[in-house]
Amino acid sequence: MRRYNPFYFIGQAFEGLWRNGVMSFASIAVLMSLLVVTGGFTLLVANINKNLDEFNSIKQIVVFCEQDATDEEIAVLGDTIGKLDNIEKVQHVTKKEGLEKMKAEYEAYSDVSEEDNPLPDSFVITYIDNEKVSDLDYQLKNLDGVVKVNNRLDLATKIESFKRGVMLVFAWFLVILGVVSFFIIMNTIKLSVFSRRNEISIMQYVGATGWFISLPYIIEGIIIGIIASVAAYFIEWYIYFYIEEMVHSNLQFISFIPFTELKGTVLLGFIAIGIGAGIIGSLVSLARYLRQ
Amino acid sequence: MIDFVNVKKAYPNGTIALGGINLHIDEGEFVFVCGPSGAGKSTMMKLLLREERITSGKLTVGKYDLQKLSNFRVPYYRRELGVVFQDFRLFPKKTVFENVAFAMEVVGTPRKMIVRRVPAILNTVNLNGKQNSFPNEISGGEQQRVALARALANNPKVIIADEPTGNIDPRLSLEIMSLLIKINKLGKTVIVVTHEKDLVDYYKQRVVMLNKGLITEDRIGGMYCAEV
Repeated sequence: MRRYNPFYFIGQAFEGLWRNGVMSFASIAVLMSLLVVTGGFTLLVANINKNLDEFNSIKQIVVFCEQDATDEEIAVLGDTIGKLDNIEKVQHVTKKEGLEKMKAEYEAYSDVSEEDNPLPDSFVITYIDNEKVSDLDYQLKNLDGVVKVNNRLDLATKIESFKRGVMLVFAWFLVILGVVSFFIIMNTIKLSVFSRRNEISIMQYVGATGWFISLPYIIEGIIIGIIASVAAYFIEWYIYFYIEEMVHSNLQFISFIPFTELKGTVLLGFIAIGIGAGIIGSLVSLARYLRQ
Repeated sequence: MIDFVNVKKAYPNGTIALGGINLHIDEGEFVFVCGPSGAGKSTMMKLLLREERITSGKLTVGKYDLQKLSNFRVPYYRRELGVVFQDFRLFPKKTVFENVAFAMEVVGTPRKMIVRRVPAILNTVNLNGKQNSFPNEISGGEQQRVALARALANNPKVIIADEPTGNIDPRLSLEIMSLLIKINKLGKTVIVVTHEKDLVDYYKQRVVMLNKGLITEDRIGGMYCAEV
């Protein structure tokens, strides 16, 4: 078997890119745009999820005691709560501390005196597992000396279902974007291959095998994929940086995943998708011309 | 060398292009295949190039039985042929040298050998000094000579020329035909499909006349039979 020089195929691929400059540029531009849009949406969803998770990670329940409970009764209740399952921390908030906090947060109550304090003693409970919070809620409500249990059960459920909704929309968006991207890339490469169909037929007449004909096109697809993905990465980085700055200065309560944490994943993801799209697009487009 | 045994070719639309032909061509022969439009000449070429498969009968070229030849082996078979077309079919964006070299690159010829052999082949077809020109920078006759040089690049046993003088003027046609005769004298089997009566009559080689998918005449040292 004869040995072929790999540099020959790489050289042919670069020659093809250069000689079909307009089509190469179009392929890079299309692929790059699709990667920027897909990547942008993925990052958006990642950040939405992060914020929802952070919101949901405040795992606290407030338990209010009876207004006239003695210090002894309150201490016993505190011990009982501390022994329950799924408890991480129990913090006792006295009537006085509760009033101070309320005064600090709401100006309307700033002149309420200690004698008129409407607040009972309370416990701020930090729990461990969101899944078991309804059991804990039930147990707390049935303890002697407990008048009210404030939990965020509804909110947690709503956040979870909102997250599921976001993920569902994201999944559908990715599927649609994936299909659209595939057809656009395939048609771009198809046009490029179509413009060189005479070249392919000459190659076949002089006895070129299918892989000999395909390899330069596949390498071309890989080069297009790499260029498009690296360009998309830098554009994504710039857009992300710009939005992060804007959000930080106007909406401080929204937290952003730093790009440095994501850059490896984004770059590798882009390159993988870019190369994959390039190879598949080349093969699918070539297939009909390679049938003998 | 080449054997058509009761070869029939019918297309899916029902057209019978070849109605059962028998033809034997020996190694080193020069054969003109002539006939009016629709006689079956193009189909014969397509069968020889294994662009199409025969419907029935048997067609062999050297060691290859074309009916049994798998698609995978077709490229290897084609390397044993040198093909020249009416429209030259050169790579427009490759130089004369690159066009000829390409046929050698396809079969994995080392670069050193390509650099040595291509100028020699270009010399055979009288194209010295044109190796850096692009096809659009040379005449039709010269382009056909480049195609001829490419056909010779891998030293094939058979040269198939489909209307090689169809796109060039009569003076240059003689030049191309003389080159084909010269190549035949080097021991190659040459099959030329042509319409050109004057050329056929001038060179007095074996003439196979086709009409309506059948061989109507096969004569060594023959003339173009105008009445078919």
